[in-house]
Amino acid sequence: MSRLIDKKLSRRRFLGLSSCTLATAVVGSQVKVLRALATSGDISAPVAGKDDSIFTTCGMCVNKCGVIARVRDGVIRKLDPNPNFIKSRAMLCARGNAGVQLVYDPDRLKYPLIRTGERGEGKFRKATWEEALDLVAKNLNTIADKYTRAGVMFASTEGTYQDHFFNQLAECFGSPNTVRHPTLCLSSNIQGFSATYGTNPTPDVLNADYIIMSGANRSEALITPDSIDMLKGDGGRRKIIYLDPRFTKTAAKADKWFPIKAGTDMAFILAMIHVIVTEGLYDKDYVRDNTVGFDKLLPHVAPYTPEWAQGACEIAADDIRKVAREFAEAAPKAVYYQGRRSSFTSNDTQMRRAMAILNAIVGNWDVKGGMIPNAGIKLTPHDYLAPWYDDVPGRIDADSVAFLSEKDGSWPVVQERVLAAKPYPIKGMMIYKQNVLASVPDRAKTVKMMDQMDFICTIDITMSDAAWYSDVVLPEATYLERLDPIESLGGPVPVAVFRQPAVEAKFESKPCLWIMQELATRLGEEIAETFNFTMDEYIHHQVKDNPKILVDLKEKGVYFERTEPDYGSTVGKKLKTISGKIEIFSQRYADKGLDPLPVYSSPQAIPAGKFRLIVGRHAFFTHGTTANNAYLHEIMPDNTLWLHSAAATQAGLTHGQRVKVRSSVGEETLSLEVTDKIRPDCVYMAHGFGVMSKGLSNIYGKGGCDAALIETKYCPISGNAAMHETLVEVVPA
Amino acid sequence: MKNKRFAIVLDTNRCIDCKACTVACKTENHVPLGTDNYRNWVGPEPLRGTYPDLGQSFTPSQCQHCSNPPCEHVCPTGATTVTPDGIVHVIEHKCIGCKYCMTACPYDARYYNEEIEAVDKCTFCSQRIYGENGQLPACVETCPTKVRVFGDLNDPNSDVSKLLAKYPSRVLKPAQGTKPNLYYLI
Repeated sequence: MSRLIDKKLSRRRFLGLSSCTLATAVVGSQVKVLRALATSGDISAPVAGKDDSIFTTCGMCVNKCGVIARVRDGVIRKLDPNPNFIKSRAMLCARGNAGVQLVYDPDRLKYPLIRTGERGEGKFRKATWEEALDLVAKNLNTIADKYTRAGVMFASTEGTYQDHFFNQLAECFGSPNTVRHPTLCLSSNIQGFSATYGTNPTPDVLNADYIIMSGANRSEALITPDSIDMLKGDGGRRKIIYLDPRFTKTAAKADKWFPIKAGTDMAFILAMIHVIVTEGLYDKDYVRDNTVGFDKLLPHVAPYTPEWAQGACEIAADDIRKVAREFAEAAPKAVYYQGRRSSFTSNDTQMRRAMAILNAIVGNWDVKGGMIPNAGIKLTPHDYLAPWYDDVPGRIDADSVAFLSEKDGSWPVVQERVLAAKPYPIKGMMIYKQNVLASVPDRAKTVKMMDQMDFICTIDITMSDAAWYSDVVLPEATYLERLDPIESLGGPVPVAVFRQPAVEAKFESKPCLWIMQELATRLGEEIAETFNFTMDEYIHHQVKDNPKILVDLKEKGVYFERTEPDYGSTVGKKLKTISGKIEIFSQRYADKGLDPLPVYSSPQAIPAGKFRLIVGRHAFFTHGTTANNAYLHEIMPDNTLWLHSAAATQAGLTHGQRVKVRSSVGEETLSLEVTDKIRPDCVYMAHGFGVMSKGLSNIYGKGGCDAALIETKYCPISGNAAMHETLVEVVPA
Repeated sequence: MKNKRFAIVLDTNRCIDCKACTVACKTENHVPLGTDNYRNWVGPEPLRGTYPDLGQSFTPSQCQHCSNPPCEHVCPTGATTVTPDGIVHVIEHKCIGCKYCMTACPYDARYYNEEIEAVDKCTFCSQRIYGENGQLPACVETCPTKVRVFGDLNDPNSDVSKLLAKYPSRVLKPAQGTKPNLYYLI
């Protein structure tokens, strides 16, 4: 399964590109200086030590914002936003600021550890790197001999910039079974929009006059620059319509909040399309010239009237009509914002298709205030020749869903098939900073999946639940201690970023590249050959065709080629769809036996005494990884179960009491929060609590774990987990 | 040279209660961990209305750097003092920890710092604003949605002066006569 890269890059050629070393670049006079603030003399100036300001990028979440690390006497004192970093509008959120704690966290992993007790018991002994790496390599080879190389799965995080090296090791080791986060996050979004536009565009939030958000809580699930740009500018002309079963902080900022029935967004969207096409409010010229299948859309949406939708999604027909008309009126500076996470229902890909179609018919494609295709910064990739192994079968989750991502896989499917050992057994697990026990639905099932492994190794910076269940735990250097490759952050205004160490790696922690190189050496010469470079060489190779990238990164901490989107760059060009146009009707879906136009299906009815469990983000944690950070922990020390006051009264439950939440796969105990900020038929709990690892000392024993309750369900088109299809009961603890 | 009159103007309509200001302040100013220790905070206001017609506001707050500061008046040792640029601050070694100032402050903007054994509070990040690079206060610089604008009210061309000239604003607890220098746009 390993793919042969056409050309093998010799070390000599690779090295020949550049031989100079990459000295740490520090911030000089480029930082914006506040005008004329003279010293009053009354407050003594801070004691000066060895002072450095170092450009790097944040590693606390997916946004990767520009950071200046303020270092004095070898200690990081403060992380400031990089004022040059246009993507995040020169800001740093609570997590970004709390990153300083990561390096000095008493809970961080300090040495390689080898398990001594039962798996999950938490008994480890300190080991040398030599011993730990030997043990990992030995186990990988033993499993490969017994079960083929596909018998080891590789689960990876995203955004460390060194995840490329982990995935390279997987490929060169010869396992097809890499599994990454998208099916726990946004793969339905990518699938649904790509099926329509050939790409997943970015809404031009800054310039849109009318924004509809559903399933995208941007004031809490921060995405830069959208979370900043969505707020009204001077003049306040922007209107935000927000659909969510919860009254979130985004709802507090919206012009109108509709507490939509969970899992029915598609009904709302189809009814909007119905109004816009039947009232002739769509962009007729645009649709005629740039789309295919509009003729089939008309009869398709005929039954989806606002009155019908009112029954489905519980938003008044008149309101749907009003929103649809306003949306069409504001177009093309109007977007139905598709958000990021699309792990809501098993019909999520088709719901995203409906969103894409709605955007298409008002002609907002690639215009100011509309949906903008993403661009990137061109970097020279590091080519390598992965060894070929004849006896390795295809992915374990092959043919499970209509459009499986070859590199990302589908987490829910992998979990089920590994447990069933079908079509073959997987007995080894390499994990890079993905906290699979907190993020994959049905934690008990994930534990079982791990129980049947012969060997598990986790590379992380803290004792995550996944690390806690591992046989070998390897400590990685934090993002503030590493030199990381250059990364292009795609978007309408793409930027290139990198990381350089603010301080030396503490304890015995090592960067992922070093760990991969050491493992590769132990796994064989052919694999080691692909890792025969230093990070300096790698970075210089990335910029060999455009050295200015590195110059700018050193001087400004960020590289960009424009400050405004290149609107209209795709106008008159073929899109990456089969027809080259926007595909309202998808022949590709029809050929696969899928609905070529989005067909509504109702979510499972909620029986009396049960509630739909919904999950969601807030601005303090990133997934299952930062809840233990002391600065963030004190903002949110625990999670609660949200329940509407009317439902609580009916169930005889009171605010603050301990309750058990029970689904078909698990039971968690936490405190009840009686609030009117949620629909009476849903309950909500924040992610990141109810951990199993005692190595997370701040949060161990606090709150409940959503992954322990969510059942394994997924979208049959994208393989994206469906996290809002679990019904629970709530009883006094 | 003319003194400054430092102030912060806040547009709370932009506040999303993300707590970036609080964490930035804590790390910048070595505020000890713990929920009783803070130089600034964001107060989620009570929910307004009834379901499903709800509303909520978020109000960031901190020391108001009053022109008539009650904390200064009650301090028995002169530890709390005001700089010529209007920054109300505590001289650490003069503070005896009697906490009169904490009681006197109508804004609950002070806490007792066990580590330095003195009362501590916002200084507009004087170490930053008077520092070599003339940085903004940490909370102002880091704020994702730019709720806060910092500047000199004595300079009519400063952003704070311009904002206050353009938009109506209010101060917190005006009846106390403290003459705060944090202005909330209405």
